[in-house]
Amino acid sequence: MAIHERDPGMVEGGGQRRGSSPPDGRSGVRASDPTRLASWLSLERKQRLAGWAFLTPAILYVLFAFALPIIYNIVLSFEQTSPATIADITAPFAGLANYRFILHDPTSIAAIVHTFEFTGGSLVGQFIIGFSLALLFSLRFPGRTFARSLVIVPWLLPLIVTGVIFKFLFQLQGGAVDQLLVNIGLVHHPIDWLDNPHLALWTILIANIWLGVPFFTLLLFSALQDVPLDVKEAALMDGAGAWQRLRLVIVPIILPVIEVTVLLGFVFTVKVFDLVIGLTGGGPANSTQLITTWSYNLSFQQFSFGEGAALNNLLLLLAVICAPIYLMLNRGSLGRSSGVER
Amino acid sequence: MTRLQRSRTLRWLCTFASLVALAIVLFPVYAVVVASFESTYTLFSGTYHFWPASPTLANYRTVLSAQAANVVTSLIVGLGTAALALVVAVPAAYALSKYRLRVTVVVVSSLLIAQIVPSIVLATSLFIIFHWVHLVNTYPGLILADGTYAIPFAILVLRAFFFSLPNEVMHAAKVDGASEWQTFTRIVVPLARSAVITVAVFAFLNGWGDFIFALTVLNGATIQPITLGIYTYLGNYSTDWGAVMASAVIAIVPAAVMLILAQRYIASGLTAGSVVG
Repeated sequence: MAIHERDPGMVEGGGQRRGSSPPDGRSGVRASDPTRLASWLSLERKQRLAGWAFLTPAILYVLFAFALPIIYNIVLSFEQTSPATIADITAPFAGLANYRFILHDPTSIAAIVHTFEFTGGSLVGQFIIGFSLALLFSLRFPGRTFARSLVIVPWLLPLIVTGVIFKFLFQLQGGAVDQLLVNIGLVHHPIDWLDNPHLALWTILIANIWLGVPFFTLLLFSALQDVPLDVKEAALMDGAGAWQRLRLVIVPIILPVIEVTVLLGFVFTVKVFDLVIGLTGGGPANSTQLITTWSYNLSFQQFSFGEGAALNNLLLLLAVICAPIYLMLNRGSLGRSSGVER
Repeated sequence: MTRLQRSRTLRWLCTFASLVALAIVLFPVYAVVVASFESTYTLFSGTYHFWPASPTLANYRTVLSAQAANVVTSLIVGLGTAALALVVAVPAAYALSKYRLRVTVVVVSSLLIAQIVPSIVLATSLFIIFHWVHLVNTYPGLILADGTYAIPFAILVLRAFFFSLPNEVMHAAKVDGASEWQTFTRIVVPLARSAVITVAVFAFLNGWGDFIFALTVLNGATIQPITLGIYTYLGNYSTDWGAVMASAVIAIVPAAVMLILAQRYIASGLTAGSVVG
């Protein structure tokens, strides 16, 4: 099995290869005097060598920790694995058997459907709440800095801890959520958030919205800060109402940030794992099984690494679809350099 | 109501709304702290108490003996991840911002995409790859895997920071006869101190809070970080909530300390990795 020196990232455009690129010959040597050219060249080369030396550990790391696993995951998805083959480098070729399996396995299909429902629901909830909070924090009122600095707390907790905390809060016996709902009279009987297969997906959705709101709030807030004041004032002068100002003036200005935020929200939600393992473990009756959790189950509990890898590739495909868009949104900074030799 | 009164009322309404939002955001953290001081009897009484009914340190006593080794493990993993991230990311970010290299576009694109790759994809392959190279159940293996969270983020954040560093500083150092390496270690790194601290803090939190790689590339009880320790409590049908909550509080402590110490860096750091443009 040859491991190609191909960068995992280059999905956009022409699929360039790294590793074989010749030394850059078109550097800014503008010396007209040929005798000085030689010393200039050696300086250029010295600097380029230094740049490469600084970059080499990162390139090796990306090849080892990203490129190799991604390529190996693809190889694995075409292999007939078993607990006995884990110790070996390769297993017998299986053709498309692993992919056929996940397309016929009811739990895999359910996991795929759940992943879309979970991701869609999370994005809608996180965007609405996050944008509202961002708008709120961009108004002037007592305590806004304090509130803004604390709103990122959910982000700093280990994800498994968040899952465990929500499991505690949502439990039927002595759970805080049910007790609060009963106390304020919203429901008469406690809701079985975790053990009711029809509700459990809602429970992980609520927990994930709680987790993701700070990200949306923070990014959208900083975007709102960048909207020029005179633009807002001009709209106000024209007699635009608050809703009109938001829809016709502010949203168009911050649209690029909204796009990046939703895109990243999507890729972050598609890979949620710890939260669900801590909260429901994929249950009850696989009703909260996502692609990630079911892939873990296939690989590490049933030792069907080939099937797990096939499901992983589907997940990878979902994430990688976003890659060209993400790169395009970041295109301004990709090749930028503010080097000394400029 | 006059205009002034109305705007004042509006301001206090905003304060009230953000207090409600904060209450929802912070309640789970509050609840876990309260529950960690609750007696087992109260926790299983079927009634939730918003304030400890019978405060006790029993849970912490249980947990300190059971989780002390796990805390040490998590510290080693967190510090190791931070060290790895700095060694790899600081020079790379410098090269990607201050040197004109042909690979810059390719490397930066790869890093942006690396942030998107789901950890379970990497974990599945790394588990088997680590089997060949004997890194399963080792600290280096886990730290290398945890670097996948920290390193792309660290390089992108530091690169954005290095752009703001004036070239004259480096130029002056070179005029004075400093080599490329000396310029980097004696001039650039000290100037980038705050950004370096920020990425180190995040890398530490990544290593400390990692669960998925601990669950997959550690395959036995010899090395067990606190995240895995908490998870094993959940395995049984009757969860010892007191012990779980006390361990959860311990697992939150580093995040809380970081929030207090590095507050001003955190918000900017969190967003800088996402929107580099």
